Amino acid sequence: MSTGKPGIKKLYALSSENKRFCFPQPLKHSIRIGKRDYEVKLKADEKYGTYILWKNRKYPVEIVRSRQNKYEILFNDISYTFSVETPFSMQRKKVLDSGRGKVEKEILKAPMPGKIIDVLIREGSNVLRGESLVVLEAMKMQNEIQSPVNGRIVSVFVKPDSNVMKDDILIEIKVD
Amino acid sequence: MLNGIAVQKKLRDCKIVPTLRSGFRPASQYSTRLHDCTTKLKKMKIKRILIANRGEIAVRIIRTAHRMNIETVAVKTAVEPDAMFLSMADRFYDNTEDTSEIPVFLNIERLIGIALKTKSDAVHPGYGFLAENAYFAQKCVENRIIFIGPSPDAIYKMGNKTIARKIAMAASIPMAMGSEGNIGDEEEAVAIAEKIGYPVIIKAASGGGGRGMRIVRKSDEMEKLFLIASKEAEKAFNDPSVFIEKYIENPKHIEFQILGDKKGNIIHLGERECSIQRKHQKLLEEAPSAALDDTLRDTMGKLAVEIARAVKYHSAGTVEFLLDSEKNFYFMEMNTRIQVEHPVTEVITGIDLIEQQIRIANGEALKYRQEDIKLKGWAIECRINAEDVQSGFAPDPGKIEKLSLPSDPYIRIDTGIQAGSTIVPSYDSMIAKLIVRGKDRKEAIKNCKMALDKVWIKGTKTTLPFFRLLVRNQKFQDGSFTTAFIEDLDKYYFNSEYEEMLAAWLATKLFIEENLMDNSINIDFENGKEMSPWLLNKRINQF
Repeated sequence: MSTGKPGIKKLYALSSENKRFCFPQPLKHSIRIGKRDYEVKLKADEKYGTYILWKNRKYPVEIVRSRQNKYEILFNDISYTFSVETPFSMQRKKVLDSGRGKVEKEILKAPMPGKIIDVLIREGSNVLRGESLVVLEAMKMQNEIQSPVNGRIVSVFVKPDSNVMKDDILIEIKVD
Repeated sequence: MLNGIAVQKKLRDCKIVPTLRSGFRPASQYSTRLHDCTTKLKKMKIKRILIANRGEIAVRIIRTAHRMNIETVAVKTAVEPDAMFLSMADRFYDNTEDTSEIPVFLNIERLIGIALKTKSDAVHPGYGFLAENAYFAQKCVENRIIFIGPSPDAIYKMGNKTIARKIAMAASIPMAMGSEGNIGDEEEAVAIAEKIGYPVIIKAASGGGGRGMRIVRKSDEMEKLFLIASKEAEKAFNDPSVFIEKYIENPKHIEFQILGDKKGNIIHLGERECSIQRKHQKLLEEAPSAALDDTLRDTMGKLAVEIARAVKYHSAGTVEFLLDSEKNFYFMEMNTRIQVEHPVTEVITGIDLIEQQIRIANGEALKYRQEDIKLKGWAIECRINAEDVQSGFAPDPGKIEKLSLPSDPYIRIDTGIQAGSTIVPSYDSMIAKLIVRGKDRKEAIKNCKMALDKVWIKGTKTTLPFFRLLVRNQKFQDGSFTTAFIEDLDKYYFNSEYEEMLAAWLATKLFIEENLMDNSINIDFENGKEMSPWLLNKRINQF
């Protein structure tokens, strides 16, 4: 990302929900709602940590993760993911995205930390979308992890009774 | 005879560490709203209570015990050595060297041992853990320790759902059709389900809280779900037996608060509506319910009292019903403990339920008759849990870095957490209960909306965005919601407005500009390796 390069008058931010907004460089520190501009200020103190002062209210804010041009931010207890693009990189991204085929492999990750109670399939099994693959117990509840796709199980990385952390890889599926 | 100093010394010998009461601040809302309980102290046999629980309910019990001038003993564990309830109790028993695999709050022998060593004359089990364990209550009785709760017999009968069904049936309480007793195997399950008609629900005989519970819609799902339910029941309750009931589609969950003394007086304190739940875990409760009028309240309340009477119930208890769209109601189960959601009843009745539990355990007669109970105003409780609503309510344990909770007169907060506390994965994910009052439902919702924006928690994700969505939802506002509410929301479990997303983006930019001075630098610490945001903040601030 070269947001500071001279000559670039505008940038795009893409949200994870594929909403796109364009904003001028340098950035205006306000948001227009109706006919009024509301200034956005970043502050921090001992009691509240980092926060945004906006519309006469404090909103909790935290940068959770950042990688290259992608940022994950927690704002008012909700996380948002943005990627920042210049007009040029935006164009390139469009071209790249259109050339990319469909996903061939599906990696299933643990949605929460817990313990594997049962593995209902084996390597090589064919599975249908919605079929239960693994039973994961977390915080007192047993949850069935279902296949998001039709396909064949390539590898199983967990056994019954094994403990998993959030985002640990459970199963790899080759998509039909 | 031992004098005070000798007792102190003796207590120290058995690993009790006295703590200061400085952490204890009586919340104004308790002292102004609830009845004065400093009278009648002469009769109190209970002088010291061992709290066989942790978290907010431990704090809650300690508060009332202190107002009644009763000493409290808490249990310090290695998992949570700095927990808030420890600093509030008069003393704690240091159990940090316990290497047993069973958490101490589930270890009957150990708890009895601690109660005896600390010379506690009563035990309060709170909710969860051993609160509904008849054997634990029995052990207390055998060791001449007062169990603050119902009799072992009542716990056993109501805890076993098949026995409870038979008792309710004998008392002519309306119930959903179901199996006579426990189901032996999946074939029997299929046969019974065919008879009563799908959908059916499999429930654990010893269950509660959604564990061992599965809804079955077609016969070919039965085998798999029967085994899962039975396995889950065995793990959770040490009892694999399950039974089957007709599944009532989209009901409301209505429960009645019961109080009974040891002299046979039983009253109800009105209902709570707990239809906002996910996988049978309640998220928001209110009292009273918008679905009941005085006549229905009276009918259901009387039947709830009948059920309690059938097991000679004493202490606080809850009778749960399902209410369908035609206003037919069905007895579901009775919970023989104090409930998480008890504060909403306290707010609208002005009665401290923990105090009543202690007084009843002490042998006192109820000083209220049914006609004394007046429901005043409306109360809503939001369970603020460390869960990520954007990942389907996945638990998000971690350290609470910043915490600021509102203290307006219409707000009551019950919590066991303070800034710096850690939500540990081994226990539940509760951070705080936000209880809001209003003169009617509309005002309570309005107040709730305001209160939600005053809660400030940093460190873990929370259920706050869900509640912010809920209070703005039409179905919630008009009261027509059922237990299917959350499922029907599809995946949008949280409230997010477009302008907030814009603000989030601006915040991101500001953050980078302010901390790096030069926004051309990419933040790519450790090649994007996941890092705690708090650590990341620190690193950024070092520039």
